[in-house]
Amino acid sequence: MTNLPDERGAELRELFFETSQELIQALNEESLKLENHPGDEEIVRSIRRTVHTLKGDSAACGLQELSELAHQFEDALSLESAAAHSALPEIAFAAADIFAEMLSSYRRESPMPATEVLRKRITELTAAPAAKKTRGKAKSADPLPQSSKNWTEAEKRAIAQAKTAGLGLYNVVVKIDPHCAMPIAARQLIHNAISSMGEVLVVRPDAKSPAASKQVEFVFATAQANQQIAAKCHIPTIAGEVNVSLIHAARTAKASAKIVDQPAALGLDAAVTNSPSSPGLATAAAASVPNASPEVQFPTTETGQQQASTENMLRVEAGRIDSVLNLVGELIIGKSMLQQALNEFGKRYPKELLRGKFADAMAFQARVLNDLQRSVMKIRMVPVDQLFRRFPRMVRDVARQCGREVDLDLSGLETDLDKGILDAIAEPLTHLVRNAVSHGIEPVEQRKAQGKAPRGKIRLHAYHQGNQVVVEISDDGRGIDAQKIRGKAIELGMVTAEEANRLSESETLDFIFRPGFSTAEEVTQVSGRGVGMDIVQSVLQRLKATIHLETHLGRGTTFRLKLPLTLAIIKALMFWVEQRLYAIPLNAVNQIARTRESEVHQVDNYEVLQLRNQVLPLLRLGRPSVPDIDRKSSKLFVLVITVGEKKYGLIVDALEGEEELVIKALDDQTFSTDLVNGASILGDGKVVLILNLPAVVEHVARTRPQDAGLSSSGLLLNHADRARLALSAAGGQA
Amino acid sequence: MEQFAPIKRSKDGQPVRYLIVDDSVFARKNLARMIESFGGQVAAEAGDGLTAISEFERTHPDIVLMDITMPQMEGIEAAEKIVQAHPEARIVMVSSVGYQENIVAALQRGARHFVQKPVKPEVLYEVIKYVLGEDGAVATGAGAGV
Repeated sequence: MTNLPDERGAELRELFFETSQELIQALNEESLKLENHPGDEEIVRSIRRTVHTLKGDSAACGLQELSELAHQFEDALSLESAAAHSALPEIAFAAADIFAEMLSSYRRESPMPATEVLRKRITELTAAPAAKKTRGKAKSADPLPQSSKNWTEAEKRAIAQAKTAGLGLYNVVVKIDPHCAMPIAARQLIHNAISSMGEVLVVRPDAKSPAASKQVEFVFATAQANQQIAAKCHIPTIAGEVNVSLIHAARTAKASAKIVDQPAALGLDAAVTNSPSSPGLATAAAASVPNASPEVQFPTTETGQQQASTENMLRVEAGRIDSVLNLVGELIIGKSMLQQALNEFGKRYPKELLRGKFADAMAFQARVLNDLQRSVMKIRMVPVDQLFRRFPRMVRDVARQCGREVDLDLSGLETDLDKGILDAIAEPLTHLVRNAVSHGIEPVEQRKAQGKAPRGKIRLHAYHQGNQVVVEISDDGRGIDAQKIRGKAIELGMVTAEEANRLSESETLDFIFRPGFSTAEEVTQVSGRGVGMDIVQSVLQRLKATIHLETHLGRGTTFRLKLPLTLAIIKALMFWVEQRLYAIPLNAVNQIARTRESEVHQVDNYEVLQLRNQVLPLLRLGRPSVPDIDRKSSKLFVLVITVGEKKYGLIVDALEGEEELVIKALDDQTFSTDLVNGASILGDGKVVLILNLPAVVEHVARTRPQDAGLSSSGLLLNHADRARLALSAAGGQA
Repeated sequence: MEQFAPIKRSKDGQPVRYLIVDDSVFARKNLARMIESFGGQVAAEAGDGLTAISEFERTHPDIVLMDITMPQMEGIEAAEKIVQAHPEARIVMVSSVGYQENIVAALQRGARHFVQKPVKPEVLYEVIKYVLGEDGAVATGAGAGV
């Protein structure tokens, strides 16, 4: 078992790495608990259990070093003094880290991390009382009495009684297999075997004596014959040589086993009478040991089919589900191809009755397909708990480093999210949480001075909202000062002072997501918000997710991430702009309205639209399709969309309808704008481009002031952009 | 993985059915793999002592492989409860060297045998043959394809 050569071995290895990650997570969680409840024995026990499992699993996988280290730690944990040791949580954390490092070293086959420091700390735990830990190890020079006839008085009486009852009296000496690591357990097992045959009168040597690990001797009364006894004592893997000698022959060959019920235990060792005989234990007729003869090899093909395992959890590689999801995507395209064909058929043969049958069948198929898609997507869903549970340890560590006191509150753990999305937001979320601790929460003194509770609070909360999952990270720290951000943005030349003054607070705050803004070192001190927010932003954009922040100076900050449920398929609204088909996620659309050009107003070179009582910034993907003279009266379609927390009006030429689109990623070679984040193929082979709305909005915000002259035309995509769009569409079609 | 001559139930020639109890999924899968190489069948798995008892009641396996340290209810207690209700139950304790005392306790409470972790297939094979005694039969070449 040391190495697992075959394919299933590799699978098991994978399983091991996966489960061991969970064990390390559990170890971290338990250590945190222990830190909060020092000396709690129940927690120490569960730590020990976790370490024990890790030890066992890694040994079975052949990971010697890890198994040994875990073993050492487990041993240390079994000492009472260790459980109460004040440094135990620290050491447990350190152990979790080292174990994790070792695991990844095994995985990458890179050199092992240094473990000396940890080993030393573990020995610290054990060092205090050096008294225990010696049992069973000492070697004794006692010569073993082969068959000692020096019985005690009580034993003599018992023997005499057995003789009177007419049973055979045997002396059995069983050598314990030297390879057996658990001789006392072996002894117990032999004892069980013998007491199943008759009445044990004497057991030697004492279980606690060092000699007990080598052999065990019994005197017992039975009606069984010599050979049967020997066979019975030949217990595979634990018993070595067996020596049975008759002390006193049975009076009759088949004496009844009445003796068993008699009070033979007159003053016998309590340990001897203690063990109940196991009734119904089958006589191992031919338990002669080596029997796995290689020539009787069997085809064990049936074993595969017969896994009636009741375990209802499956571990599946994410890639396999992805390929199923991909196929479902193809099916959906196939569905719309059929729909298209049916429409044409209907036009050509309007009276054909078969049409109805086709339509029914297709409706049925569409429904099943819908369910199928939903089921497959559900497989990919995992609770956010998987990600959130990492944070307690991290918050603790960061808080320590920066000298903060922080409580972390997690909620909405059962909220499901696509595994791919969950993995992708791990890094941004970590970043946000880390920032919240190090920059959001103030030092204890400062908090006290402001009349706040000395311990800061950070809250991670997840919940479903329509077709999205929202993850909120909030702290009750110092908040972000929009004024300082504004100053910094002007200083960095991202915006002129004049423009900056016109920006709303939330627009100002958005600067922290701009690349180049946050990388400036000193900003961290000024704004209290840190490095790498642009990275957070870019990851989220790739996921078609949005981030928004809400801050109150002195009271704290909340970051709100809105994530799509899944990446692969979206419900989209399709529309035409300049003879080209585009789509946007349906859940971004609030409203579809018709309006006139006369409702469009210019404010500071920005086009805005007044729609009932709201004023919306306007986005145009193309030039106005009609000459200037007719413009005032021409009608427009406006999609009112929400990006982040803000609403915009998107002008389109015509609407196509809504459909479920299977997103095909566009590769970077044919296409390099971030304005579009995917494409899809419709049933008739048409290519539709899926707009990346946050990028489109940002594009407007960025280019508008410079393109002031052009802005009257509302041109959003410049020619180069549009050329690229056209190109990629052609590429997708081919 | 080595091939073993399959052990079948002597009364009906059917595969021996096992209940695997361990809180580590990995350990369970590992044992399941060995059992299959012995021609056996996993009747059920359990991750803690309480589930072990209910799964035993449900499936009545021929052999129970029982870990010692588990959440909810430890292996010894579960073994004891099972044996009390079903004296014929064959329970093999599976545990590490450090838990010898617990194994002794389990054996005193009716467990039939024990194997040490990490489990070696050849050891487990012998133990199972022994524990089954007359109720198990090592199939010979002639009986192949049952």
